[in-house]
Amino acid sequence: MQRPDWAPETIDIERPSVARMYDYYLGGSHNFAADRAAAQAMVAAVPEAPLMAQANRAFLRRAVQFLTEAGVRQFLDIGSGIPTVGNVHEIARRTAPGSRVVYVDVDPVAVAHSREILAGDDHSVVVQEDLRHPERILAHPDVRGLLDLDEPVAVLVVAVLHFISDDDRPAEILGNLRDALAPGSHLVISQASDEGRDVEERGEAQRVYRRTDNPLWIRSRAELTAFFDGFELVEPGVVWVPQWRPEAPENAEDAERAVFLGGVGRLGG
Amino acid sequence: MAESAALRSPSRPGTFARAWAKAVGGTSFLPLTHAQLEALLQRLADQLAAALLAEPFDLRPGHRVGAELVANHIASAEGLGRTVEVVQLRLLRDLGLVGDDVEDRMARLLAAVATGYARALRDRTLDEQESIRRAVMMARTQAERALRESEARFRRQATHDSLTELPNRALFTERLTDALNEPGRGAQRIGLCFVDLDRFKVVNDSLGHQVGDRLLITVADRLRRALDGHLVARLGGDEFVILVERTGGTDDVVAVAEAALAAVREPALVDGHELVVTASIGIAERQVAGTTPSDLMRAADSTLHWAKAAGGARWEIFDAERNRRELARYALSAAIPPALERGEFYLDYQPLTSLRDGSLLGVEALVRWRHPELGVLRPGSFIGLAEETGLIVPLGGWVLAEACREAEGWSARGGRTPFVSVNLAVRQVHRPGLVQEVHGLLERTGLPPDRLQLEITESTMMSTTEEPVRALRGLADLGVRIAIDDFGTGYSNLAYLRDLPVTELKVAGEFVAGLRAPAADPGSRTDERILASLVSLAHALGLTVTAEGVETAGQAERLRAIGCDAGQGWHFGRPAPADRILERVG
Repeated sequence: MQRPDWAPETIDIERPSVARMYDYYLGGSHNFAADRAAAQAMVAAVPEAPLMAQANRAFLRRAVQFLTEAGVRQFLDIGSGIPTVGNVHEIARRTAPGSRVVYVDVDPVAVAHSREILAGDDHSVVVQEDLRHPERILAHPDVRGLLDLDEPVAVLVVAVLHFISDDDRPAEILGNLRDALAPGSHLVISQASDEGRDVEERGEAQRVYRRTDNPLWIRSRAELTAFFDGFELVEPGVVWVPQWRPEAPENAEDAERAVFLGGVGRLGG
Repeated sequence: MAESAALRSPSRPGTFARAWAKAVGGTSFLPLTHAQLEALLQRLADQLAAALLAEPFDLRPGHRVGAELVANHIASAEGLGRTVEVVQLRLLRDLGLVGDDVEDRMARLLAAVATGYARALRDRTLDEQESIRRAVMMARTQAERALRESEARFRRQATHDSLTELPNRALFTERLTDALNEPGRGAQRIGLCFVDLDRFKVVNDSLGHQVGDRLLITVADRLRRALDGHLVARLGGDEFVILVERTGGTDDVVAVAEAALAAVREPALVDGHELVVTASIGIAERQVAGTTPSDLMRAADSTLHWAKAAGGARWEIFDAERNRRELARYALSAAIPPALERGEFYLDYQPLTSLRDGSLLGVEALVRWRHPELGVLRPGSFIGLAEETGLIVPLGGWVLAEACREAEGWSARGGRTPFVSVNLAVRQVHRPGLVQEVHGLLERTGLPPDRLQLEITESTMMSTTEEPVRALRGLADLGVRIAIDDFGTGYSNLAYLRDLPVTELKVAGEFVAGLRAPAADPGSRTDERILASLVSLAHALGLTVTAEGVETAGQAERLRAIGCDAGQGWHFGRPAPADRILERVG
């Protein structure tokens, strides 16, 4: 159920948060008993869950590295979650100091935590907003204040689209974001897929996430490819995330175990 | 020596560091590239090698390496296990380290690494737990603040007018109720000013609602500033209200009303238009004890309408007696339609007597209301009300029909059958279809048209429309007599007398009253001359003249001497039922 706009959310740590479950998969301790219980249930259903999170995080790292090398200096990370290790601004600034990053998340605890981590950083801000409202994100004064939309921006929609239902029209959301971007901007997407998985496993995973505020919407490679409408896919296209520009060929072995498909698109023109 | 090479860092990742990197890679997420990881582990391997050979043997580098692994996010249980395994199995061999007690040192150094690692991991875990809990607290604080703000916003929206930011009716009523109910305040006095802009609709209609809205904002600001200390609220539209607490009497509220009028009166520049508006104010002021918010609001509101009715740009103070009268009048007017249905009205007739031979020429129909509670009411107490409310149309219609119906049944005993004279109100004459109505009545009742006289007042003719003139011509064409009632008190326009099919003038009683005084009295003589002129004028135009209000034989005699044709008044007979009048002449 969607919270009405005027009602502030309640902070209930008895309810698992997808951001803190993700932190747990990554080995972090920014989580509570309810998060760990849900994450453990997920691991019981899909033993690769921690691997998935790591592989996805590594994909994000390589993608940001690629983008900075491509000259991008502005990042809009939507669904940024709990900032643990390897945040976008840290990775980007290793190559391109002064890169500006906007983190967006709907989870108030994740946002509060990010604010604390980023306190004093003039080149990054945190905005509490929902990917379902791209127009609000784009119009947010903090976003407008930090990012110059006339210059290329990399929009990162990493490990978050599987929390957006088809009813919320993800293609339209991405289209709205795309329409606000300058040529040379990029879109990075990764999301859980059920390609090659059995039905039972998928059902089990969906049951776990139904305990959170964010049920899972698993999608196919074709659906994910369609989300890049208007963008030119960068090589190697939409692939299992370990296969996306691996540092060593052996890192891409057994790539389908990562469950996540991902890709990077470039806005031409 | 290998060890000395190892100490000369940085060095390229050797076999051992590569094997170590392979072992820990994948045990947790690392924000490093593989090359960065190998470089890191090479550095740590060098430190371990140096520690194994150092004199004296020191465990602290082992602790440091363990801590550094965690700091670099090689921070999982598996990461430690694989590190112990790979160091134990390969470090000495890969680096070619030898020594007497090197095995022994290795065991102790590995223990130090594990200890340093576990300590660092524990600290990190505790730090992260603390940090996420802090984030929860911050998020909660934020959420509570947002809730308070949204509640405050919601409360403000519910209690304030969004256009002017003034308190709205709900908040005003709440405050007024509090002021009236506060214990110990019964003996105090309290006042309200109901403020309404005069002709505000004209601004809206001619300059648009945006200008109107901006004008309201300006007025609201001025009222707020001018009446600092008093609660000013907007009730809606262009209506404002001011609460004046702890008054010492009406003067205090009048002062507030004067200030409000002055504040509104100042010209306002809105969108390049200099607008001058005025306001009307209704004041109600009384003791707190015994009043209620709705009483007080109603009183101020009624009073506002008095100020409006008096022309605006003024204040009026509530007057209980006037209010009572108005309420009674309202109740009476509301009772007219059901009274018509129940047949509570009836007619009396007053004779119109020939001054020449004393014969009965006609009778004037006068309506009476047999009110179930108030007794018999004369027209003076309800006709004005019926005219204001428009109820005169059905009431007048009933009178006309009833008079025709009764008159048809009268028969002449020895002389001419008297005509019946019926008053027509302005509204009746202005209504289309009057001629048809009269025509229909005459047909239905069989009353000859020349036995019906319709009395209209001069003001009926003071109209810019053609309707009344057409109606009178139509009525005259039917053969109905037409009299001008109360002649001499209005404009006494002679032009229409020439052009209209009028048959008779009824001269107002005021002139006749003058004839009661002795003939030598100068005022009396003046009235007599006016009357004489009127009579000769009327006769010149071919009209007959009836004098109203004839009370004495003296008056009657003087009127007859002037040449006046007929008289009406107590001297000739008071209003009474038709049969009694007819009996008397018969």
